[in-house]
Amino acid sequence: MQTSALKPIARLLTKELLIAVLLLLGVSLVVFFILYLAPGNPFATLAGKRAGSNWHQIQDNEPSGAWYAQYLHWLGRVVQGDLGHSTRSGLPVFNEVIKTGLNTAFLTIGSILLTLLLAVPIAVYTARKGLTAIGWGLTAGSYILAALPSFWFGYIVIYICIHQFGVFPLAFGADASQWRGIYFLLPVLVLGLCSGTLSEMVRYLREELSRVLTEDYIRTARAKGASIWKHALREGFVLPVTEMVAAKIPFVLGGAVVVEQVFNWPGMGRLAWQAAQDRDFPMIMGITLMAAVFVRTGSLIKQVVHICVNPRASQE
Amino acid sequence: MKSFTQHPIPLKAPFWKKAHPVDVAYIGYGLVIVVMVIGSYVLGAVNWLPHDPAAIDMALLNAPPNTAGHWLGTDFMGRDLLTRLILGIQAYFLPGLTAIAIALTVGSFGGVVAGYWGGRLNLVVTYAANLIDSFPRLVLILLMVAVFKPDIYLIMIVVGITNVPIVAGLIKSKVMLLKEKNFIEAAVALGLGNFRIIFKHILWHNCRALLIIQATLGMAEAILIETSLSYLGFGVQEPIPSWGNMVQAGSNYFLQGQFWPSTAPALAILFTILGFHLLGDGLNNILERKTG
Repeated sequence: MQTSALKPIARLLTKELLIAVLLLLGVSLVVFFILYLAPGNPFATLAGKRAGSNWHQIQDNEPSGAWYAQYLHWLGRVVQGDLGHSTRSGLPVFNEVIKTGLNTAFLTIGSILLTLLLAVPIAVYTARKGLTAIGWGLTAGSYILAALPSFWFGYIVIYICIHQFGVFPLAFGADASQWRGIYFLLPVLVLGLCSGTLSEMVRYLREELSRVLTEDYIRTARAKGASIWKHALREGFVLPVTEMVAAKIPFVLGGAVVVEQVFNWPGMGRLAWQAAQDRDFPMIMGITLMAAVFVRTGSLIKQVVHICVNPRASQE
Repeated sequence: MKSFTQHPIPLKAPFWKKAHPVDVAYIGYGLVIVVMVIGSYVLGAVNWLPHDPAAIDMALLNAPPNTAGHWLGTDFMGRDLLTRLILGIQAYFLPGLTAIAIALTVGSFGGVVAGYWGGRLNLVVTYAANLIDSFPRLVLILLMVAVFKPDIYLIMIVVGITNVPIVAGLIKSKVMLLKEKNFIEAAVALGLGNFRIIFKHILWHNCRALLIIQATLGMAEAILIETSLSYLGFGVQEPIPSWGNMVQAGSNYFLQGQFWPSTAPALAILFTILGFHLLGDGLNNILERKTG
């Protein structure tokens, strides 16, 4: 690529980065306002509780300040990585969220990969062959999986493990036997199959691929005797896949809350559940912010891929 | 590929004759489910049920189907499963409709504003949509539940709001497409007001199908979300039955080999969600492909 072509790409990338920062600011404002409007303004009490022994500091944090003063004060701390301390365990929220966030990232990325691994062949097959009996069966299977309650499916999997294989598949807290691999893979399997993303992914990928396969440039490629797949790869595969993955991250993160609960997976979703039970405001705020960072990062990566694959279309 | 000169079915034929039989089957199945859902709602509303939903029979715990007058068996407290399944839809019906109403009205408003006027308004709507999309739905619901209280309507308002970006995006692209069409230009040239063009010519005549499809998908989502929340303990609370808390309560007996009390509501969820999804899909294939 020439340097003259790189410049607009760099400009687009900075634009996307700016948008992501703006969105995260918006997210923080929304989270702040949900807590600000909560009964008794727990936000102000929290800030007061967290303050040090310095009397001025306490006064600084009193709810007397206007909302924007409180917001800026809070935002300043958040940007420095200070999300406060959990009211339940007293541990710093930031460390907890990062620690559990890594486990959740592993779970979500693994399950999205699994979904892709299943969705792509089904989509390619049905896009090429139309709805034959096999294609129809595969599509119907993906619909059924999307409609099942994931925790019910999880219990079935656990039941099968106990009664067929004689293992008790809780992700952590089990002994390091030869089955340890399965403990990690089961939640990924359940989330990947049952988060409701499979059928949508199949449908979207199939539609995009069949649309691209009817385009003129594919017909030309076919007439030339060139490989269709090489030509259809960018628009028919890379773009829809990244689009779908980025769009489904929030869904899968939501599904992770349930699946982590079923398999006792020490992730962010389980922590969020615990925090909601205990009304542990700093914790649930921190988790919401971190989840938003996850989502925005995914969509930023998607934008980068789109810009690199097709810079002209991204310029609007 | 079919030839364009001969069309075996006259163009004026109703849409179900022109449609692919698979799509018709989808829609048929979906409509059966919709009728069953509405029927269950009415049965519950007029209290015309096979058993008392709260009657506890300690002699018949987790009974299999077809025992002692209980067609679908009983749950962990000996209550009739069929009755509770019928009543369970009450937990979703009005809350689900609330979620759908919010998603459709706010979504079409945003979509029309962004698509029809474009420019800065489009930027604002896109920003708002991306902002909402940044929150994983279940995490946002947990936040709301922690801050306020676990209430099904509050939860469904959040579900509605998180569905807004999807509706807004679809309506926006549709409006942008329609704006280029001759009939909208003609309407503008005739001096029709924006209000009339938007509501009659854009939303009513051209976005109806899309909104109906989104409504069916919205109902499916409401059921799935409530199920997940019931599992987490924030959904509809016992003793009021919902399919979610029935699956949850039954799954406590799963490892003892008592599958049925949990599987019956899980199957109800499966068939219902499948019905709404297939209805949406079939309608989409038939109605949207034709115009788009």
